Amino acid sequence: MADTVIRFKDFGFQYKVQQKPTLYDINLEIHKGEKVLILGGSGSGKSTLANCINGLIPFSYEGTITGSVEVNGHETKGSSIYKLSKEVGTVLQDSDAQFVGLSVAEDIAFAMENECIPRSQMVPIVEEHAATVGMQDFLKAVPFDLSGGQKQKVGIAGVLGSNVDILIFDEPLAALDPRMGEMAIELIDQLAQDKERTIVIIEHRLEDVLHRRVDRVILMSEGRIVADTTPDEILKGTLLQQYGIREPLYITAMKYAGCSLEGNDGLSSIDNMVFSNESREKLLRFFESQVESHEPHLGEELVAVKDVSFSYDDSRKVLEDVSFTIHKGERIAVVGRNGAGKSTAAKLICGICRPNKGSITIDGKDAKGLSIKEIGERVGYVMQNPNQMIVKDTIKNEVEYALTLRNMPRDQIIARATDALNACSLFPMRNWPVDTVSYGQKKRITVASILVLQPDVIILDEPSAGQDYRSYTEIMKFLDVLNKEYGKTIVFITHDMHLALENTDRAIVFTDGRLLKDDRTFAVLADNDTIEKANLKQTSLYRLAQRLGLEPERVIRHFIDYENYRSREKGNAKDEEFEGKELEDVEAEDSKEGGQA
Amino acid sequence: MNNRFLINFTPGSTMMHKLTGGTKVLLFVLFTIAIIATFDVRVIAVLSILPIAAIISMKPNYKPIRFMIGFMVLVVGIIGSLMLLLVSPNAGLTNVGGSTVIWRLGENFFVTKETLWYIFAMFVKRLASFMVVIAFVLATTPSEFASGLAFLHVPYKVCTIVSLAYRTIPDIARRYTDIKNSMQMRGVELSKKASLGKRLKATAALLVPLVVSSFGKVEVIANAMDLRGFGRLKKRTWYSEHELTKADKVLRKLCILFTIGIVAYIVWFRVINPWPVTYWSPFIAREDIVKVGRFETLSILKWFGK
Amino acid sequence: MEEKKNIGKLLLGEWNTKTIVAVAVGAALFGVLMCYGGIPVFTNTSLTTAMLVPVIVGGLFGPLPAFVAAGVGNVIADLIGGWGMWFDWSIGNAVMAFCVGLLPVYGANIKEGVFEVKHMVIYAICCILGNVISFGVITPIFTVIFYGGDLEVTFIQAFAATLGNFAVLVVVGIPVLKVLANRYKSRSNLAQEHSDNY
Ligand SMILES: Nc1ncnc2c1ncn2[C@@H]1O[C@H](COP(=O)(O)OP(=O)(O)OP(=O)(O)O)[C@@H](O)[C@H]1O
Ligand SMILES: Nc1ncnc2c1ncn2[C@@H]1O[C@H](COP(=O)(O)OP(=O)(O)OP(=O)(O)O)[C@@H](O)[C@H]1O
Ligand SMILES: [Mg+2]
Ligand SMILES: [Mg+2]
Repeated sequence: MADTVIRFKDFGFQYKVQQKPTLYDINLEIHKGEKVLILGGSGSGKSTLANCINGLIPFSYEGTITGSVEVNGHETKGSSIYKLSKEVGTVLQDSDAQFVGLSVAEDIAFAMENECIPRSQMVPIVEEHAATVGMQDFLKAVPFDLSGGQKQKVGIAGVLGSNVDILIFDEPLAALDPRMGEMAIELIDQLAQDKERTIVIIEHRLEDVLHRRVDRVILMSEGRIVADTTPDEILKGTLLQQYGIREPLYITAMKYAGCSLEGNDGLSSIDNMVFSNESREKLLRFFESQVESHEPHLGEELVAVKDVSFSYDDSRKVLEDVSFTIHKGERIAVVGRNGAGKSTAAKLICGICRPNKGSITIDGKDAKGLSIKEIGERVGYVMQNPNQMIVKDTIKNEVEYALTLRNMPRDQIIARATDALNACSLFPMRNWPVDTVSYGQKKRITVASILVLQPDVIILDEPSAGQDYRSYTEIMKFLDVLNKEYGKTIVFITHDMHLALENTDRAIVFTDGRLLKDDRTFAVLADNDTIEKANLKQTSLYRLAQRLGLEPERVIRHFIDYENYRSREKGNAKDEEFEGKELEDVEAEDSKEGGQA
Repeated sequence: MNNRFLINFTPGSTMMHKLTGGTKVLLFVLFTIAIIATFDVRVIAVLSILPIAAIISMKPNYKPIRFMIGFMVLVVGIIGSLMLLLVSPNAGLTNVGGSTVIWRLGENFFVTKETLWYIFAMFVKRLASFMVVIAFVLATTPSEFASGLAFLHVPYKVCTIVSLAYRTIPDIARRYTDIKNSMQMRGVELSKKASLGKRLKATAALLVPLVVSSFGKVEVIANAMDLRGFGRLKKRTWYSEHELTKADKVLRKLCILFTIGIVAYIVWFRVINPWPVTYWSPFIAREDIVKVGRFETLSILKWFGK
Repeated sequence: MEEKKNIGKLLLGEWNTKTIVAVAVGAALFGVLMCYGGIPVFTNTSLTTAMLVPVIVGGLFGPLPAFVAAGVGNVIADLIGGWGMWFDWSIGNAVMAFCVGLLPVYGANIKEGVFEVKHMVIYAICCILGNVISFGVITPIFTVIFYGGDLEVTFIQAFAATLGNFAVLVVVGIPVLKVLANRYKSRSNLAQEHSDNY
C-alpha cells in the first residue's frame, strides 16, 4: 500500500460566520498516486474540504477546526500556506479569481515567478503548458478578453507551472466544452501518471470524469462523507439517486429498461463494460418498444436574429452572419466549443452588445430602438459568471431587486421571491450575505433573480455549471412549469449534453462565430459531423446504441421520448411504478425541508 | 476603454515598447527628477525633447493624448493662471524677481510681466513632466512597470501593489459595466430614455455595489495568489522582464551619465550658486533681481501682522 | 511597552497578501473615482467619492495601507485623469489618508462591527487634523520645492480641499463606516431557516 499523503482524522470545520459546522467528523485517507473523485450536492462542503487540504483553511478563512488533517505527514495547522503551496496545487472553482496575471503567459508563469525561476527557463515551460491546454495562440491575451472556458484552461495551465505532487481540481469541467472536458480529463490523467501525482477532482459531471480511470469515489452530503468506494460499486447502488447526483446516461437507460446492474462488470465505462445477456435482452426490448413522441408546438416568433456580425475589438470577428429565430414556448439549447460566441450571442439579444452588422428583432420591434431595460422586460439573461450579476448584499435583496424596482405590491413580491428561492433551493439561506455561499449557490442566486421576473424568454448561460443534479432538476422543474403552463421560452447555453438532451427540443450549434447547425436536439447529438466540428461529444447513449448495434438517432430519440413520457406521467396521476421513485421521494421531502419545517 | 486611459496591456512593437521595464522606469524617474529639479525654461525645453520624440516614435493613438493635453491646458493653464492673477497678481515678484506692471486695473488687480512669465514657466514645467508621464504610460505595460520598479530595488510586494492596482483599473471599469448591465436588464433605465437627473441618481446608486464588490474580490484574488506561493520567498523573478535589447544597453549607460549630470546640476545651480529667485527669466539680469521672501507677500500672514 | 508594540503594529497594519491586494484594489478605485466619481469645486480639489476609499481601507486594514492606497491611487488618478502630475498633492492626500485611516488605532474595529459614537467623534477630529496637516503644511511645502508654486493659491486650494474632503469624509464617511460595521456584525452565526414565513 502506497504511503498516505492526505489524512483527515475526525476532522470538522465551522466557518466563523456560520452557526453550524460545514464539515462533520471527516475521516479520509488519500494515498500517494491515487486519483480520487469527490462527489456531492452543491453546498455539501466539497470546496471547503479542498481548502482544508491546500491551507486556505485555516490560513485564509477564519473558523474553528476540530480533529486533524495531515498533508505529507505534517499537520496543516502547524504548517503555513506557503509551505503547502509547494506541495498542493489547486485550480480554484471561480476561474476568474484564479487569474492573477496580466496576460495568459504571465498567469501561467506566476507560480514559477514566485519560485524565483529565471525567465530564460520560464519561457519554454510556459509555451509548453499553454500548448497542453491549447491556449498557445492567446499567450498575450488579457484576462478580460477571454471566454469562460478559456479562463479555466489557463487556470489548469497555471498549476502545471509549479511542480507539486498533490493536485486539486475544483470543478475543472464546469466551463469547458465537452471535447475540451474530455481532454482535460485525459490531461489530468497524464499528470497523475507521469510523476505519479496524487489527484483530487471535485466534479458534478460524473460521466465525463469516468472517461478515464478513477480509483475512488467519495460522496459527500451536508458536510459528511456518506460513501467512500469504487466507481463500479457506487454506480450499482442507489446512493447516487438518493443524494441527487447525476448518474451516467447509459446507467439511467439500463435502469429504465429494468436491468439489474449486478450482472454487468466494468460498469464505470460504457466502452469496456460487459453486458449480462439479461441486460442486453431488456435493453433491446426497451428500445424496440414504442412511446408516442411529442412534437414541440411552435408559437409565434419572439426573437429573430438576422445575419448578425459582431466583434468586441475591430481585430477579430466574434460572430459572423448569424441568423436564427426563437419562437414562443420553445426550449432551445445553444451549444458549441469554448469561445464560439454563445455568450456573445446572448449579450447581443439583450442589447448589452449591439451588432455591427445585421438586425435583431424582439417580437416585431427592431432592437436598435430598444434600451437594455426595455429588452429586459421581454428577455431575461442569466450571465455565465455569477460575479457579474450580483449587485445586492443579501440573497433576499438580490432576488427581490428587480421586483422592487417595478414597485410591485409587497405580498406579490414575497410570493414570487418565495417561489424562485424554492426553485433554486435557496429559501433556507435567503437572509445570508451573498459572499458566504458556495459557487453553485451563487450561480443559483442569479438564476433566481431572473426567474422572479418570469420574462417571455429566459436565457440561462451554463445553468448546470457547478450544480448538482438535484438542485438543477429543481430549477428545471420550475422552468418546465413556466414553459408548459405559461408558454415561456427557455434558452439554455450549455456544455452539458445531458441537460440539452433532456430539457430541449431544438439545438443551435456554434463554431468559431458561425452558426453550424439548427435542428432537433437528438438529431444534432446523433450527427457525428456536427459533433466533430463543434467540439461536442457523443453522449454515452450513442456508444450504448453502437454497443447494442442499434441506430443512435433512434435510441437517443426513444430515450428522450420516454423521459418526456415519464415526466408527463409524473405530472398527472403521480403514479409510482417507476424505480426512479426513490429519487422522486427524496426530491419531494427535500423540497419540503427546503420549504416547510 | 483601455485606450481611453492610455494604459496598454499588450506591449507594442516599436523600439520604445521593446525596452525592458527596468530601463523605462529608470528613464521615467530620472527625467521626472530632472524636470522637478530645474526651474530654467531653457533646460526644461532641452529635457522635454527626448520624451516628445519618444511619444512620436511610438506612433500612439493621438486622440486620448490630445484630449488630455487639452484638458490640462484648460485646467492648469487657463483656469489656474486666471486664479493666480486674481489671488496674487504679484507672484512674479517673489518667484521671478521683479514687478514691471504692464496693465493695471485698480489697487490689487494688475498684471506684471514677471507674473506672466512665472505662469508660463510653471506651466511649461508641469507640461514637460506630463510629457514624461505620457511617454512612460504609453510605453509600459503594468507588469513591465512592476518589474521595472523591482529592477530599482523596490521591494517586490510594493511592485505587486502597483501592477495589481494598474491591472485592476480595467477590471473596475468592466465590473462597472457589468453592474450597469445587470441593473438595466433588471429594470433600471440608464439609457437616454431616462431623464438626466434619474440617470445621475441611478449611477450614484451604482457606486455602492461597485465599491463593495471590488473589495469583495480581494479575498479570492489573495487566495489565488497565496495558493501559488506568492510571497513565500524574499525575492521573485519577473516573466515580463525580458533580455536587454541593444537599445537597453546603450540607454542604461547613458542613464549613468544623466544621473551624474543631474546631481552636478543640482549641486551647482541649486546649492553652490543658486539663482536668487525660483524661476530664471530672460528679461531680468541677475544683478537687478529684487529678492523678496516667500512669506512677506503672503496676505494671510499680513493679517496676522496687524 | 507591550502597548507601544501593539500601537506600532496597528499603525503599520499586517502586510499579508490580502492587505496587498486590498491596497492595490483601493488604489485603483481611488484613481478611478478621483477621475469619474466626483464634482469639481475648485482646481485640484473636488467633492470626490474617492475619499471614501482610504476610509474603508483604513477601517479594515489600518492607516499605513490607507496611506499607500491613497498615494498610489492619486498617482494613478493623475495618470488617467490627464491634468498632469501633481506629486505635491499626491503626498498630501496620502498623509491625509493616513490620519483618516487611524480608525483601528483608537479601537474602532469595523471587522468586529465596533464603531460607536466616541469613535465617530475621534474620527471626525482626525479628519480635520489630517486635512489641515496635509494640505495646510505638507502640500504647500512640496508645491514650493517641486514646482515653485505660489503659496497664496496653494493655501486657498488647501482650504477648499479641506472643506470638500471634510464634507465627504464626515457626511458620507461615517454612515458608510456604520453600514460596514453592521454588515460585518450581521455576518455571524448564519443558519438555515426552515420556516415558511418569508
Ligand atoms: N467563505 C465562506 N464563509 C462562510 N460560509 C461559507 C463560505 N464558503 C462556503 N460557505 C458555506 O459552506 C457550505 C459549503 O460550501 P462549499 O463551497 O464547500 O460547497 P461546495 O460543495 O463546494 O458547493 P459547490 O458544488 O456549489 O461549489 C455552503 O453552505 C456555504 O454556505
Ligand atoms: N468582453 C470581451 N472583450 C473582448 N473579447 C471578448 C469578450 N468576451 C469574449 N470575448 C472573446 O469573444 C469570443 C467569444 O466569447 P464568448 O464568451 O461568447 O464564448 P462562449 O461561446 O461563451 O465560450 P464559453 O463556452 O467558454 O463561455 C472569445 O474568443 C473571447 O475571447
Ligand atoms: Mg465548490
Ligand atoms: Mg460563455
